[in-house]
Amino acid sequence: MKTIIRVLVCLFLTAFTFQIQAHHAFTAEFDPNAPINITGKVVKVEWINPHAWVHVEVEDGSGKIIWMVEGGTPNTLIRNGITKETLVPGAVIIVRGYQSKGGLCLPRCIANGRDVTFPDGSKVFMGSSGTGAPRDGADPREPKRK
Amino acid sequence: MKKLSLLLLVLLFSFQIMTSNEENHSDIHDLMAYVLDPAAETIWDSAGFVITEEGELNLEPTDQEGWDKVKFGAKVISESSYLLSMPDRAVDQTQWVALSMALRVIGERAFKAAENKDSEDLFKIGAELYQVCVACHQNYWIKED
Repeated sequence: MKTIIRVLVCLFLTAFTFQIQAHHAFTAEFDPNAPINITGKVVKVEWINPHAWVHVEVEDGSGKIIWMVEGGTPNTLIRNGITKETLVPGAVIIVRGYQSKGGLCLPRCIANGRDVTFPDGSKVFMGSSGTGAPRDGADPREPKRK
Repeated sequence: MKKLSLLLLVLLFSFQIMTSNEENHSDIHDLMAYVLDPAAETIWDSAGFVITEEGELNLEPTDQEGWDKVKFGAKVISESSYLLSMPDRAVDQTQWVALSMALRVIGERAFKAAENKDSEDLFKIGAELYQVCVACHQNYWIKED
């Protein structure tokens, strides 16, 4: 009897394995109803595909927090004028984007970046086209609403 | 008792396989989640830079084992083009198949880049791979508004 119970437990666990979610679309991870402006110092830039990530240190009343901001592909950023020379650690930038679903900052806050404003005042699109992000005017290539 | 347990095991596993084949065993979601995504991640994670105040870290593989992983991922990408083009999966015989075949070309290019240990080329190919992914998702998956 013990053997049968063991077999049944094993089969139950096998039958209900976890399903992995593939995350590509904007709406899978980010909240189009939760826009955010992030002002802070660049501490890390990950130039990796399929999305570059900009880590921004923000000081508030209670201390410092890090926002991880997802951008477009590195090539897209470079074409838009965002390069390893312009987006450097230490630069203070303003990112306009959308928070991750749930808005939790554990262990780090995560956002999808739409555009970035540099210390000289220039504003550049830093997102991805065609991923389902809100048509908020940030992407110069997005089709106009009919 | 052992024979009875074994029989029970075989019967229940057979039932599970039968039901999974009928439902979600080999649908497009599973092909993406368990075959294409991991292969693409291998390519994407093997080229690029991480820059901090301390300096710059190059993500290219540092040994043959690392490059072999890229070659494996590249072959999975290129061969998956045929899995996507199978008659019961292809949504249409025009754009769907064309985008699937674009994956084959990109996979082969990634394989060559890994053979040549050319991380700069692999970085460019990784961006093109994502463009094909987005082009397909825009047409067949992502619904705006």
